[in-house]
Amino acid sequence: MDTSGPSPHVTALRNDAVLRRVRYLGSARDGLGEWQLQRWTALALLPLGLYFVASILCLASADRLAIVKWLSGLVPALLTMLLMATAFAHAYVGMRSIFADYVRERRASFLAELLLRAASAVFFGGSILAILKIFLGRMDA
Amino acid sequence: MERPLSPFMFPMWYRFQITSALSILHRLTGIALSVGLVVLAWWLIAVAVGGDIFRLTHAVLVSRIGTAALVGWSFAFFYHLCSGIRHLAWDAGIGFDLKVAYRSGYAVLAATVLLTGLTWLYVVM
Repeated sequence: MDTSGPSPHVTALRNDAVLRRVRYLGSARDGLGEWQLQRWTALALLPLGLYFVASILCLASADRLAIVKWLSGLVPALLTMLLMATAFAHAYVGMRSIFADYVRERRASFLAELLLRAASAVFFGGSILAILKIFLGRMDA
Repeated sequence: MERPLSPFMFPMWYRFQITSALSILHRLTGIALSVGLVVLAWWLIAVAVGGDIFRLTHAVLVSRIGTAALVGWSFAFFYHLCSGIRHLAWDAGIGFDLKVAYRSGYAVLAATVLLTGLTWLYVVM
């Protein structure tokens, strides 16, 4: 064993030498991209999530028109779209890793993957469409 | 495929530890938030469509069960956020020392309770 190895502060997240060892000599034949996606989306979700929760709190007692008015703004619409994109990507990777750990049976794991993909596509697509509809102002009051 | 799955090890085979409990809670809140994300998407669609769909969605969300779910989701959100920062620090190689890991774990719990409490204090007032 190489005891002089990298310091504990060097991880695959920010050191290419470690990354290369994980990739080519370690057990990580695949999944690294997903692992990194989970971290990048996590980082993005810190400000996006806090922004959205703060916005929703300000709208806590508001009616639908006030919500529509808020989402018609360029910045709220853009940030909410980014939130939905990163949150769905993050949830997708997270749920997949949970399925990988706990769903062993082949048919069940196929069904879980199918359901996850379908739900992600439908609800992500729907939410983007909804934000666009409000932003473009085609409201049927 | 007779091998026991991971959750089988806890709490039967392992002694209770706050660190492993927090790790499990990170996953559980992640699952809860994934469900919450679908509800959030539904809510956005309801806002865009309006009419009866929005009225019904709103009525469910402000009902007693809906409010309880929102409290749960806010707890899950703040916990997963704080715990996520802890995980990102670990990914960067920071905070692996056992003492530090315990301390950050308690800090995450305290921050979660504080943030959830402040949030609902704001809503009530």
